[in-house]
Amino acid sequence: MPRYWHQWALILAALGAVVVLLVLPLVLIVFQAFSQGATVVADNLTSADMIAAIKLTLVVALVTVPVNLVFGVLLAWCVTRYEFRGRKLLTTLIDIPFAMSPVVAGLCYLVVYGGQSAFGKWLDDTLDVQLMFALPGMIMVTVFVTCPYVARVLIPLMQSQGTEEEEAAVLLGASGWQTFWYVTLPKIRWALLYGVVLTNARAVGEFGAVSVVSGLIRGETLTLPLLIQMLNEDYNTVGAFTAAGLLAAMALVTLLLKTALEWRQHHKLDAAQETTP
Amino acid sequence: MSIRVESIRKTFGAFTALEDINLDVARGGLVGLLGPSGSGKTTLLRIIAGLEKPDRGRVFFHDRDVTNLDARRRRVGFVFQQYALFRHLTVADNVAFGLRMLPRGERPPRDAIRARVRELLELVQMDTMAGRYPAQLSGGQKQRVALARALALKPEVLLLDEPFGALDAKVRKELRRWLRHLHEQIDVTSLFVTHDQEEAMEVSDQVVVMSQGRVEQVGSPVEVYEHPASRFVFDFLGHINALEGHYDGITWRAGDASLRLDTHGACPDGALTLYLRPHEATLSHAPDEHAHLPVKLVARSVFGGTVTLELAPRGWGDRVLEVELDRDTWQALSPGRDDTLYLLPRALQTVTCDGDLGPRVRPG
Repeated sequence: MPRYWHQWALILAALGAVVVLLVLPLVLIVFQAFSQGATVVADNLTSADMIAAIKLTLVVALVTVPVNLVFGVLLAWCVTRYEFRGRKLLTTLIDIPFAMSPVVAGLCYLVVYGGQSAFGKWLDDTLDVQLMFALPGMIMVTVFVTCPYVARVLIPLMQSQGTEEEEAAVLLGASGWQTFWYVTLPKIRWALLYGVVLTNARAVGEFGAVSVVSGLIRGETLTLPLLIQMLNEDYNTVGAFTAAGLLAAMALVTLLLKTALEWRQHHKLDAAQETTP
Repeated sequence: MSIRVESIRKTFGAFTALEDINLDVARGGLVGLLGPSGSGKTTLLRIIAGLEKPDRGRVFFHDRDVTNLDARRRRVGFVFQQYALFRHLTVADNVAFGLRMLPRGERPPRDAIRARVRELLELVQMDTMAGRYPAQLSGGQKQRVALARALALKPEVLLLDEPFGALDAKVRKELRRWLRHLHEQIDVTSLFVTHDQEEAMEVSDQVVVMSQGRVEQVGSPVEVYEHPASRFVFDFLGHINALEGHYDGITWRAGDASLRLDTHGACPDGALTLYLRPHEATLSHAPDEHAHLPVKLVARSVFGGTVTLELAPRGWGDRVLEVELDRDTWQALSPGRDDTLYLLPRALQTVTCDGDLGPRVRPG
């Protein structure tokens, strides 16, 4: 417990900042959404555009998260378990999506895969596939923007855990797959889950890169964040805030999930410690 | 199963970890790889296990060339210095791991695995802790679980990397005896790495002394101690006092000190360094006809049957000497404060000017 007045003052200041910066905007979103009654909210929620946007957002997240889960684990494995030329360079390259503005990433993809590029033309002419201004392109940029999360969470952990347990498993006759499944995965599962939560949150909320490659076709290539922007520009305040509230709720659920998982892990650890002689 | 290592060389970048290593370990042996850190002993152990690939050279398990065999197919038991227990598995599951990883055809049925685990845990006296997690065990207990796990697949080769390195002195001693005892019970060829001379001497029946990626000497503990093959081995096995001075063919001198030596003409006139082991000298209140080595008592440590004394030479150098006396001799001596005492060596090791070991000599 704090004992001096300045400690209390600091705590109050922190609480005040949290309320002003985090809680108030979230509460206001809800108030704004319901400003014209619940029926308007319900109408907005069941509108075709909204449902299409929710579906699209979920599809993008559902593809992105597994892809980056596998990619992140492989990358972390590769960087922490092997010594090779260019390892440092690779760990730096992982950070490019963090360092670069998502809009720039979107533009890059547009230049490389869009209809104006040789590759994009070839895809369109020979395979009749259009990546940009369609779902594939949106998934591609979302994967790009969110790919560092899992690897970034795993790399320091796997570095600190070392490779001795894996070596022990191999010497006990375990194959590469068995070693991963029975030794490495249990060691990193909580961090992995955390990485997935972060990836998911970012994939659902991504705006910049997706807005460049989506083409903003109503009912087709609008994810929730894009729809919010669109509704706001149309002066449909209730619609915009309803979508925003939905997105915020998704984020909160993800956070709660993460907190619950962490709590469970601590609880398990404490239980283990209590029985220690 | 015997282990044979032929002209192994291993480099890490510019650093040469092992330089042309040849080694034979007979079946059923308990061999200690002894050397200071950086001498390459752990690298050699890891090469034998298959965890590292040598740059050249071959490894044989009983005439079978395993150099290119994957670590998981070598079937060696390996105990890591930090135990490397699977932290998310219980003690019993740790021990059962190797059996559970066997391909379906070779894997024993569930009950057989359980029985084998119980048997192993009894062997290492850990049967009451089967349900615990590694984080709930003490260092010594973890070490025993690691050993049980390594023995689960009945390996014919057991490799231990600094098995007692992370334990406190008392537990270390107990486990050392216990390992020796265990080795006698099961048919296995064991190779263990240590930097602790006492440990190597007590546990192993063969000692391999290594330095800077080379094998300096192989022999029984007694052989290695009594007849060291090189200055390094002499230096490394136990504490020594180096006495630097000049020899004129009859008498060795350094400042106020003199010592008559009969080297049978083996040492020429000139600079001569003498190595004195702490237990190969005694102290007296007066010099004798051969030795005049005045010293002053700086510190003493009475522990068990031996008394270890730190002595400062009086007028012949400033390096503190260490001498061990038995308790009775010490009590008979009972020197006063600031008394001058005289060191009387029984045997000394000469070191030639090119740094090699010369003959062992006695005063007289």
